Amino acid sequence: MFPDQLVPMAVLVIFSINAALLAGLVLLKVVHRRRTLSHNARRQEYLKLLSHHISVDNSVEPITESMAEDQAFLDALIDMRNVITGDEVSTLRRIVNHHGVIERQMRYLDTSLLLSRRLRAAVALAELGDETSAETLMSHLDDREPEIRIQAARGLGRIQWTPAIDQIVSRFSDEIPWVRVRFSDTLVGYGIKATWPLIAYIRINHRFESKGPALALRTIAQIQDDQAVAPLLEILEETTDLEIQIATVDALAELGSPEASTALNSLLESEHWELRAKAATALGGLGESSAIPRLTTAMREENWWVRRSAAAAVARLPQGIEALYRSLDDDDPFAADAAAEALADAGELVSARERAEKIGADNEPLLVHMGSLGTGS
Amino acid sequence: MSEKKRILVADDSETIRALLQTALESAGYEVDMANDGLSAYELGSNGDYDLIILDQLMPGLLGLDVITRWHDEGLEAPVLMLTGVDDDRTAVESFDQGAVDYVRKPFRITELMARIRMRL
Repeated sequence: MFPDQLVPMAVLVIFSINAALLAGLVLLKVVHRRRTLSHNARRQEYLKLLSHHISVDNSVEPITESMAEDQAFLDALIDMRNVITGDEVSTLRRIVNHHGVIERQMRYLDTSLLLSRRLRAAVALAELGDETSAETLMSHLDDREPEIRIQAARGLGRIQWTPAIDQIVSRFSDEIPWVRVRFSDTLVGYGIKATWPLIAYIRINHRFESKGPALALRTIAQIQDDQAVAPLLEILEETTDLEIQIATVDALAELGSPEASTALNSLLESEHWELRAKAATALGGLGESSAIPRLTTAMREENWWVRRSAAAAVARLPQGIEALYRSLDDDDPFAADAAAEALADAGELVSARERAEKIGADNEPLLVHMGSLGTGS
Repeated sequence: MSEKKRILVADDSETIRALLQTALESAGYEVDMANDGLSAYELGSNGDYDLIILDQLMPGLLGLDVITRWHDEGLEAPVLMLTGVDDDRTAVESFDQGAVDYVRKPFRITELMARIRMRL
Protein backbone atom coordinates (compact mmCIF):
# COMPACT_ATOMS: atom_id res chain seq x y z
CA MET A 1 0.00 0.00 0.00
CA PHE A 2 2.71 2.43 1.03
CA PRO A 3 4.59 2.61 -2.30
CA ASP A 4 1.28 2.87 -4.15
CA GLN A 5 0.48 6.04 -2.18
CA LEU A 6 3.97 7.47 -2.44
CA VAL A 7 4.13 7.59 -6.22
CA PRO A 8 0.97 9.67 -6.78
CA MET A 9 2.00 11.88 -3.87
CA ALA A 10 5.42 12.50 -5.41
CA VAL A 11 3.84 13.24 -8.79
CA LEU A 12 1.48 15.69 -7.12
CA VAL A 13 4.31 17.42 -5.28
CA ILE A 14 6.42 17.71 -8.45
CA PHE A 15 3.43 18.95 -10.40
CA SER A 16 2.63 21.52 -7.70
CA ILE A 17 6.22 22.78 -7.60
CA ASN A 18 6.32 23.09 -11.40
CA ALA A 19 2.96 24.87 -11.43
CA ALA A 20 4.13 27.26 -8.71
CA LEU A 21 7.38 27.98 -10.59
CA LEU A 22 5.50 28.53 -13.81
CA ALA A 23 3.03 30.85 -12.11
CA GLY A 24 5.94 32.72 -10.54
CA LEU A 25 7.60 33.12 -13.93
CA VAL A 26 4.40 34.34 -15.55
CA LEU A 27 3.88 36.79 -12.71
CA LEU A 28 7.43 38.07 -13.02
CA LYS A 29 7.00 38.50 -16.75
CA VAL A 30 3.74 40.39 -16.28
CA VAL A 31 5.29 42.65 -13.66
CA HIS A 32 8.32 43.27 -15.86
CA ARG A 33 6.14 44.05 -18.86
CA ARG A 34 4.00 46.45 -16.89
CA ARG A 35 7.06 48.17 -15.50
CA THR A 36 8.55 48.47 -19.00
CA LEU A 37 5.32 49.88 -20.41
CA SER A 38 5.03 52.32 -17.54
CA HIS A 39 8.68 53.32 -17.95
CA ASN A 40 8.21 53.92 -21.69
CA ALA A 41 5.03 55.92 -21.14
CA ARG A 42 6.76 58.13 -18.58
CA ARG A 43 9.78 58.50 -20.84
CA GLN A 44 7.48 59.64 -23.64
CA GLU A 45 5.89 62.24 -21.37
CA TYR A 46 9.32 63.45 -20.29
CA LEU A 47 10.41 63.72 -23.91
CA LYS A 48 7.46 66.03 -24.56
CA LEU A 49 8.28 68.02 -21.44
CA LEU A 50 11.93 68.41 -22.41
CA SER A 51 10.92 69.24 -25.99
CA HIS A 52 8.80 72.04 -24.62
CA HIS A 53 11.67 73.46 -22.58
CA ILE A 54 13.99 73.25 -25.57
CA SER A 55 11.75 74.60 -28.29
CA VAL A 56 9.59 77.14 -26.45
CA ASP A 57 11.21 80.26 -25.03
CA ASN A 58 10.77 80.66 -21.27
CA SER A 59 8.78 77.46 -20.90
CA VAL A 60 7.16 77.19 -17.48
CA GLU A 61 6.20 73.53 -17.74
CA PRO A 62 7.09 72.19 -14.27
CA ILE A 63 9.79 69.58 -13.70
CA THR A 64 9.36 68.23 -10.18
CA GLU A 65 12.00 66.62 -7.98
CA SER A 66 10.30 63.24 -8.21
CA MET A 67 10.41 63.46 -12.00
CA ALA A 68 14.08 64.35 -11.93
CA GLU A 69 14.82 61.27 -9.80
CA ASP A 70 12.99 58.95 -12.20
CA GLN A 71 15.17 56.68 -14.38
CA ALA A 72 12.76 57.33 -17.27
CA PHE A 73 13.53 61.05 -16.97
CA LEU A 74 17.24 60.30 -17.14
CA ASP A 75 16.71 58.15 -20.25
CA ALA A 76 14.70 60.95 -21.87
CA LEU A 77 17.47 63.44 -21.05
CA ILE A 78 20.08 61.18 -22.65
CA ASP A 79 17.95 60.61 -25.76
CA MET A 80 17.35 64.33 -26.13
CA ARG A 81 21.03 65.14 -25.56
CA ASN A 82 21.90 62.95 -28.54
CA VAL A 83 19.65 64.67 -31.08
CA ILE A 84 20.29 68.33 -30.36
CA THR A 85 23.32 70.57 -30.61
CA GLY A 86 24.33 74.19 -30.09
CA ASP A 87 22.40 76.48 -27.73
CA GLU A 88 19.77 73.86 -27.01
CA VAL A 89 22.37 71.73 -25.23
CA SER A 90 22.79 74.61 -22.78
CA THR A 91 19.06 74.56 -22.08
CA LEU A 92 19.26 70.86 -21.35
CA ARG A 93 22.35 71.43 -19.20
CA ARG A 94 20.48 74.04 -17.17
CA ILE A 95 17.73 71.51 -16.45
CA VAL A 96 20.31 68.87 -15.53
CA ASN A 97 22.16 71.21 -13.18
CA HIS A 98 19.05 72.71 -11.63
CA HIS A 99 17.77 69.29 -10.62
CA GLY A 100 21.11 67.87 -9.48
CA VAL A 101 21.02 65.07 -12.04
CA ILE A 102 24.80 64.85 -12.40
CA GLU A 103 25.41 64.93 -8.63
CA ARG A 104 22.90 62.15 -8.12
CA GLN A 105 24.51 59.94 -10.76
CA MET A 106 27.99 60.62 -9.36
CA ARG A 107 26.72 59.58 -5.94
CA TYR A 108 25.26 56.37 -7.33
CA LEU A 109 28.48 55.60 -9.16
CA ASP A 110 30.58 56.22 -6.06
CA THR A 111 28.47 54.58 -3.41
CA SER A 112 25.77 52.29 -4.72
CA LEU A 113 26.12 48.62 -3.84
CA LEU A 114 24.08 47.60 -6.87
CA LEU A 115 26.22 47.01 -9.94
CA SER A 116 23.29 47.72 -12.28
CA ARG A 117 22.76 51.14 -10.69
CA ARG A 118 26.47 51.96 -10.87
CA LEU A 119 26.54 50.90 -14.52
CA ARG A 120 23.50 53.02 -15.35
CA ALA A 121 25.08 55.96 -13.58
CA ALA A 122 28.34 55.53 -15.50
CA VAL A 123 26.49 55.35 -18.82
CA ALA A 124 24.40 58.40 -17.89
CA LEU A 125 27.48 60.44 -16.98
CA ALA A 126 29.20 59.36 -20.19
CA GLU A 127 26.17 60.28 -22.29
CA LEU A 128 25.39 63.59 -20.61
CA GLY A 129 29.02 64.68 -20.87
CA ASP A 130 29.07 67.33 -18.16
CA GLU A 131 32.39 68.79 -17.01
CA THR A 132 31.37 68.68 -13.36
CA SER A 133 31.61 64.88 -13.53
CA ALA A 134 35.22 64.86 -14.80
CA GLU A 135 36.96 64.18 -11.48
CA THR A 136 34.53 61.41 -10.59
CA LEU A 137 34.99 59.80 -13.99
CA MET A 138 38.78 60.09 -13.64
CA SER A 139 38.61 58.19 -10.36
CA HIS A 140 36.62 55.41 -12.04
CA LEU A 141 39.19 54.76 -14.74
CA ASP A 142 40.47 52.30 -12.10
CA ASP A 143 37.05 50.89 -11.24
CA ARG A 144 36.91 47.16 -10.54
CA GLU A 145 34.20 46.78 -13.22
CA PRO A 146 35.57 46.85 -16.80
CA GLU A 147 32.39 48.34 -18.28
CA ILE A 148 32.50 51.19 -15.79
CA ARG A 149 36.13 51.89 -16.72
CA ILE A 150 35.04 52.02 -20.37
CA GLN A 151 32.16 54.39 -19.63
CA ALA A 152 34.39 56.60 -17.49
CA ALA A 153 36.85 56.97 -20.38
CA ARG A 154 34.01 57.55 -22.84
CA GLY A 155 32.55 60.31 -20.67
CA LEU A 156 35.92 61.99 -20.31
CA GLY A 157 36.36 61.78 -24.07
CA ARG A 158 32.94 63.25 -24.64
CA ILE A 159 33.80 66.36 -22.64
CA GLN A 160 37.30 66.38 -24.19
CA TRP A 161 38.88 66.33 -20.72
CA THR A 162 42.54 66.51 -21.74
CA PRO A 163 44.07 65.59 -18.34
CA ALA A 164 42.48 62.18 -18.89
CA ILE A 165 44.50 61.43 -22.03
CA ASP A 166 47.69 60.45 -20.19
CA GLN A 167 45.68 58.47 -17.67
CA ILE A 168 43.91 56.49 -20.37
CA VAL A 169 47.07 55.90 -22.41
CA SER A 170 49.02 54.74 -19.38
CA ARG A 171 46.44 51.98 -18.85
CA PHE A 172 47.11 50.42 -22.26
CA SER A 173 49.75 48.10 -20.78
CA ASP A 174 47.68 46.70 -17.93
CA GLU A 175 44.14 46.65 -19.28
CA ILE A 176 42.29 43.60 -20.51
CA PRO A 177 42.20 43.56 -24.34
CA TRP A 178 38.57 44.56 -24.97
CA VAL A 179 38.76 47.47 -22.53
CA ARG A 180 41.99 48.58 -24.16
CA VAL A 181 40.27 48.63 -27.56
CA ARG A 182 37.44 50.79 -26.20
CA PHE A 183 40.01 53.11 -24.62
CA SER A 184 41.58 53.38 -28.05
CA ASP A 185 38.20 54.44 -29.51
CA THR A 186 37.98 57.17 -26.88
CA LEU A 187 41.47 58.42 -27.71
CA VAL A 188 40.62 58.58 -31.41
CA GLY A 189 37.79 60.90 -30.37
CA TYR A 190 40.35 63.22 -28.77
CA GLY A 191 42.01 63.61 -32.19
CA ILE A 192 45.48 65.11 -32.48
CA LYS A 193 45.52 66.00 -28.78
CA ALA A 194 46.22 62.31 -28.14
CA THR A 195 49.09 61.95 -30.65
CA TRP A 196 52.05 62.92 -28.45
CA PRO A 197 50.90 61.10 -25.31
CA LEU A 198 50.53 57.97 -27.45
CA ILE A 199 53.97 58.43 -29.01
CA ALA A 200 55.55 58.97 -25.58
CA TYR A 201 53.84 55.81 -24.35
CA ILE A 202 55.15 53.78 -27.30
CA ARG A 203 58.69 55.11 -26.89
CA ILE A 204 58.78 54.08 -23.24
CA ASN A 205 57.02 50.74 -23.55
CA HIS A 206 58.02 49.19 -26.88
CA ARG A 207 61.05 47.52 -25.30
CA PHE A 208 58.99 45.77 -22.65
CA GLU A 209 55.79 44.60 -24.32
CA SER A 210 54.00 44.44 -27.67
CA LYS A 211 50.24 44.55 -27.21
CA GLY A 212 49.86 48.01 -25.67
CA PRO A 213 52.27 49.79 -28.05
CA ALA A 214 50.77 47.98 -31.06
CA LEU A 215 47.30 49.23 -30.15
CA ALA A 216 48.70 52.70 -29.49
CA LEU A 217 50.11 52.62 -33.04
CA ARG A 218 46.76 51.57 -34.47
CA THR A 219 45.16 54.43 -32.53
CA ILE A 220 47.65 56.90 -34.04
CA ALA A 221 46.85 55.54 -37.50
CA GLN A 222 43.16 56.28 -36.94
CA ILE A 223 43.84 59.78 -35.64
CA GLN A 224 45.54 60.61 -38.95
CA ASP A 225 47.96 63.21 -37.58
CA ASP A 226 50.86 63.89 -40.00
CA GLN A 227 53.02 64.99 -37.07
CA ALA A 228 53.26 61.34 -36.06
CA VAL A 229 55.25 60.30 -39.16
CA ALA A 230 58.74 61.39 -37.99
CA PRO A 231 58.46 59.82 -34.52
CA LEU A 232 57.00 56.66 -36.04
CA LEU A 233 60.03 56.36 -38.30
CA GLU A 234 62.27 56.68 -35.24
CA ILE A 235 60.31 53.97 -33.45
CA LEU A 236 60.60 51.77 -36.53
CA GLU A 237 64.37 52.19 -36.42
CA GLU A 238 64.62 51.47 -32.71
CA THR A 239 62.27 48.56 -32.19
CA THR A 240 63.15 44.92 -32.75
CA ASP A 241 59.68 43.63 -31.86
CA LEU A 242 58.01 42.23 -34.99
CA GLU A 243 54.43 43.01 -33.84
CA ILE A 244 55.37 46.63 -33.16
CA GLN A 245 57.26 46.89 -36.45
CA ILE A 246 54.21 45.63 -38.34
CA ALA A 247 51.87 48.00 -36.48
CA THR A 248 54.24 50.90 -37.23
CA VAL A 249 54.33 50.08 -40.93
CA ASP A 250 50.53 49.82 -40.94
CA ALA A 251 50.31 53.22 -39.25
CA LEU A 252 52.73 54.75 -41.74
CA ALA A 253 50.67 53.27 -44.56
CA GLU A 254 47.51 54.83 -43.10
CA LEU A 255 49.22 58.19 -42.76
CA GLY A 256 50.42 57.90 -46.38
CA SER A 257 53.38 60.22 -46.00
CA PRO A 258 56.15 60.18 -48.67
CA GLU A 259 58.65 60.73 -45.82
CA ALA A 260 58.22 57.05 -45.03
CA SER A 261 59.27 55.75 -48.44
CA THR A 262 63.02 55.29 -47.70
CA ALA A 263 62.32 53.30 -44.55
CA LEU A 264 59.66 51.23 -46.28
CA ASN A 265 61.96 50.50 -49.23
CA SER A 266 64.63 49.17 -46.91
CA LEU A 267 62.05 47.00 -45.13
CA LEU A 268 61.55 45.16 -48.43
CA GLU A 269 64.87 43.50 -47.47
CA SER A 270 63.70 42.53 -43.96
CA GLU A 271 64.31 38.97 -42.79
CA HIS A 272 60.61 38.73 -41.85
CA TRP A 273 58.25 38.04 -44.74
CA GLU A 274 55.35 39.71 -42.84
CA LEU A 275 57.28 42.97 -42.75
CA ARG A 276 58.31 42.71 -46.41
CA ALA A 277 54.67 42.21 -47.39
CA LYS A 278 53.45 45.08 -45.19
CA ALA A 279 56.16 47.39 -46.52
CA ALA A 280 55.16 46.54 -50.10
CA THR A 281 51.50 47.30 -49.36
CA ALA A 282 52.43 50.56 -47.65
CA LEU A 283 54.58 51.63 -50.62
CA GLY A 284 51.59 51.05 -52.88
CA GLY A 285 49.63 53.52 -50.78
CA LEU A 286 52.22 56.29 -51.04
CA GLY A 287 51.49 56.78 -54.74
CA GLU A 288 55.10 57.17 -55.86
CA SER A 289 55.98 55.39 -59.09
CA SER A 290 59.67 55.51 -58.09
CA ALA A 291 58.87 52.49 -55.91
CA ILE A 292 57.99 50.32 -58.93
CA PRO A 293 61.50 48.90 -59.61
CA ARG A 294 61.90 47.76 -55.98
CA LEU A 295 58.40 46.32 -55.93
CA THR A 296 58.80 44.42 -59.20
CA THR A 297 61.99 42.94 -57.75
CA ALA A 298 59.95 41.92 -54.70
CA MET A 299 57.56 40.14 -57.09
CA ARG A 300 60.35 37.62 -57.73
CA GLU A 301 60.98 36.70 -54.14
CA GLU A 302 60.43 33.34 -52.45
CA ASN A 303 57.36 34.13 -50.33
CA TRP A 304 54.08 34.08 -52.28
CA TRP A 305 52.32 36.58 -50.00
CA VAL A 306 55.11 39.11 -50.48
CA ARG A 307 54.96 38.57 -54.27
CA ARG A 308 51.20 39.06 -54.22
CA SER A 309 51.40 42.17 -51.96
CA ALA A 310 54.13 43.71 -54.13
CA ALA A 311 52.16 43.14 -57.35
CA ALA A 312 48.99 44.56 -55.78
CA ALA A 313 51.00 47.59 -54.63
CA VAL A 314 52.40 48.14 -58.13
CA ALA A 315 48.84 48.08 -59.52
CA ARG A 316 47.95 51.05 -57.27
CA LEU A 317 50.82 53.24 -58.46
CA PRO A 318 50.93 55.58 -61.47
CA GLN A 319 52.31 53.61 -64.47
CA GLY A 320 51.92 50.49 -62.33
CA ILE A 321 49.56 48.71 -64.70
CA GLU A 322 52.09 49.10 -67.56
CA ALA A 323 54.79 47.72 -65.28
CA LEU A 324 52.64 44.71 -64.49
CA TYR A 325 52.05 44.03 -68.19
CA ARG A 326 55.82 44.08 -68.66
CA SER A 327 56.20 41.64 -65.74
CA LEU A 328 53.95 39.17 -67.54
CA ASP A 329 57.01 38.37 -69.65
CA ASP A 330 59.31 38.10 -66.65
CA ASP A 331 61.70 35.12 -66.76
CA ASP A 332 60.58 34.28 -63.25
CA PRO A 333 57.25 32.46 -63.64
CA PHE A 334 56.25 33.41 -60.07
CA ALA A 335 56.67 37.12 -60.85
CA ALA A 336 54.64 36.71 -64.05
CA ASP A 337 51.96 34.87 -62.12
CA ALA A 338 51.79 37.62 -59.43
CA ALA A 339 51.53 40.25 -62.17
CA ALA A 340 48.69 38.38 -63.88
CA GLU A 341 46.83 38.01 -60.61
CA ALA A 342 47.22 41.71 -59.80
CA LEU A 343 46.05 42.66 -63.30
CA ALA A 344 43.02 40.44 -62.90
CA ASP A 345 42.24 41.99 -59.51
CA ALA A 346 42.64 45.46 -61.00
CA GLY A 347 39.95 44.66 -63.58
CA GLU A 348 42.44 44.64 -66.46
CA LEU A 349 41.32 41.31 -67.88
CA VAL A 350 39.65 42.60 -71.01
CA SER A 351 42.57 44.66 -72.18
CA ALA A 352 44.93 41.93 -70.98
CA ARG A 353 43.16 39.43 -73.19
CA GLU A 354 43.28 41.75 -76.18
CA ARG A 355 46.95 42.19 -75.55
CA ALA A 356 47.47 38.46 -75.15
CA GLU A 357 45.75 37.89 -78.48
CA LYS A 358 47.93 40.53 -80.08
CA ILE A 359 51.12 38.90 -78.85
CA GLY A 360 49.95 35.44 -79.78
CA ALA A 361 47.87 34.39 -76.80
CA ASP A 362 50.67 32.34 -75.36
CA ASN A 363 51.17 34.08 -72.05
CA GLU A 364 50.52 31.23 -69.70
CA PRO A 365 50.08 33.01 -66.34
CA LEU A 366 47.70 35.50 -67.86
CA LEU A 367 45.61 32.86 -69.57
CA VAL A 368 45.47 30.82 -66.37
CA HIS A 369 44.11 33.81 -64.45
CA MET A 370 41.66 34.75 -67.17
CA GLY A 371 40.43 31.17 -67.19
CA SER A 372 40.15 30.91 -63.41
CA LEU A 373 37.99 34.02 -63.32
CA GLY A 374 35.74 32.72 -66.07
CA THR A 375 36.64 35.36 -68.59
CA GLY A 376 38.98 33.38 -70.74
CA SER A 377 37.97 32.34 -74.20
CA MET B 1 -8.59 83.49 -40.24
CA SER B 2 -5.80 81.85 -42.22
CA GLU B 3 -5.65 78.05 -42.33
CA LYS B 4 -2.90 76.30 -40.41
CA LYS B 5 0.00 75.01 -42.51
CA ARG B 6 0.26 71.22 -42.48
CA ILE B 7 3.55 69.43 -41.94
CA LEU B 8 4.34 65.71 -42.05
CA VAL B 9 7.24 64.56 -39.85
CA ALA B 10 8.63 61.11 -40.73
CA ASP B 11 11.31 59.80 -38.40
CA ASP B 12 11.74 56.49 -36.58
CA SER B 13 13.23 58.25 -33.54
CA GLU B 14 10.61 58.84 -30.89
CA THR B 15 12.77 61.62 -29.45
CA ILE B 16 12.92 63.53 -32.71
CA ARG B 17 9.21 63.10 -33.32
CA ALA B 18 8.44 64.44 -29.83
CA LEU B 19 10.80 67.37 -30.25
CA LEU B 20 9.54 68.34 -33.70
CA GLN B 21 5.88 67.87 -32.81
CA THR B 22 6.21 70.13 -29.78
CA ALA B 23 8.24 72.75 -31.63
CA LEU B 24 6.02 72.78 -34.71
CA GLU B 25 2.71 72.78 -32.83
CA SER B 26 3.98 75.54 -30.55
CA ALA B 27 4.78 77.53 -33.68
CA GLY B 28 1.21 77.09 -34.91
CA TYR B 29 1.57 74.32 -37.47
CA GLU B 30 -0.64 71.28 -37.82
CA VAL B 31 1.55 68.17 -37.57
CA ASP B 32 1.15 64.55 -38.65
CA MET B 33 3.65 61.86 -37.69
CA ALA B 34 5.04 58.75 -39.37
CA ASN B 35 7.52 56.40 -37.74
CA ASP B 36 8.62 54.35 -40.75
CA GLY B 37 9.25 54.74 -44.46
CA LEU B 38 6.10 53.00 -45.68
CA SER B 39 3.67 55.00 -43.55
CA ALA B 40 5.58 58.16 -44.50
CA TYR B 41 5.10 57.30 -48.16
CA GLU B 42 1.39 56.57 -47.72
CA LEU B 43 0.66 59.66 -45.62
CA GLY B 44 2.69 61.89 -47.92
CA SER B 45 1.00 60.50 -51.03
CA ASN B 46 -2.51 60.93 -49.66
CA GLY B 47 -2.22 64.04 -47.52
CA ASP B 48 -2.06 67.61 -48.68
CA TYR B 49 1.05 68.81 -46.88
CA ASP B 50 2.74 72.17 -47.12
CA LEU B 51 6.05 70.60 -46.05
CA ILE B 52 7.41 67.13 -45.35
CA ILE B 53 10.32 66.52 -42.99
CA LEU B 54 11.80 63.16 -43.90
CA ASP B 55 14.45 61.08 -42.13
CA GLN B 56 16.84 59.10 -44.32
CA LEU B 57 17.38 55.93 -42.25
CA MET B 58 13.95 54.47 -41.47
CA PRO B 59 12.61 50.93 -41.34
CA GLY B 60 10.42 49.88 -44.27
CA LEU B 61 11.69 52.35 -46.84
CA LEU B 62 14.69 54.65 -46.79
CA GLY B 63 13.93 58.35 -46.98
CA LEU B 64 15.71 58.53 -50.33
CA ASP B 65 13.48 55.75 -51.71
CA VAL B 66 10.37 57.54 -50.44
CA ILE B 67 11.36 60.84 -52.01
CA THR B 68 12.27 59.06 -55.28
CA ARG B 69 8.78 57.50 -55.44
CA TRP B 70 7.15 60.86 -54.75
CA HIS B 71 9.35 62.46 -57.38
CA ASP B 72 8.26 59.83 -59.94
CA GLU B 73 4.61 60.34 -58.99
CA GLY B 74 4.87 64.12 -59.25
CA LEU B 75 4.21 64.97 -55.59
CA GLU B 76 4.66 68.68 -55.19
CA ALA B 77 5.09 69.16 -51.44
CA PRO B 78 8.56 70.45 -50.56
CA VAL B 79 10.64 67.85 -48.72
CA LEU B 80 13.28 68.65 -46.12
CA MET B 81 15.64 65.74 -45.52
CA LEU B 82 16.72 65.22 -41.94
CA THR B 83 19.43 62.66 -41.47
CA GLY B 84 22.19 61.27 -39.30
CA VAL B 85 23.98 59.99 -42.39
CA ASP B 86 27.06 62.14 -42.91
CA ASP B 87 27.29 61.38 -46.58
CA ASP B 88 27.48 63.95 -49.35
CA ARG B 89 26.22 61.46 -51.93
CA THR B 90 22.93 61.02 -50.07
CA ALA B 91 22.59 64.80 -49.89
CA VAL B 92 23.21 65.20 -53.62
CA GLU B 93 20.82 62.36 -54.51
CA SER B 94 18.16 63.88 -52.24
CA PHE B 95 18.42 67.21 -54.04
CA ASP B 96 18.33 65.38 -57.39
CA GLN B 97 15.05 63.80 -56.34
CA GLY B 98 13.57 67.19 -55.43
CA ALA B 99 14.43 67.76 -51.77
CA VAL B 100 14.49 71.48 -51.01
CA ASP B 101 16.75 71.28 -47.98
CA TYR B 102 18.99 68.87 -46.09
CA VAL B 103 19.72 69.02 -42.34
CA ARG B 104 22.13 66.76 -40.50
CA LYS B 105 21.54 65.32 -37.02
CA PRO B 106 22.24 66.38 -34.35
CA PHE B 107 20.63 69.69 -35.20
CA ARG B 108 19.67 73.00 -33.62
CA ILE B 109 15.91 73.24 -33.40
CA THR B 110 16.03 77.04 -33.80
CA GLU B 111 17.92 76.65 -37.06
CA LEU B 112 15.57 73.94 -38.30
CA MET B 113 12.56 76.10 -37.46
CA ALA B 114 14.10 79.01 -39.37
CA ARG B 115 14.58 76.79 -42.42
CA ILE B 116 10.98 75.61 -42.14
CA ARG B 117 9.67 79.20 -41.89
CA MET B 118 11.67 80.08 -44.98
CA ARG B 119 9.89 77.33 -46.95
CA LEU B 120 6.35 78.14 -45.79
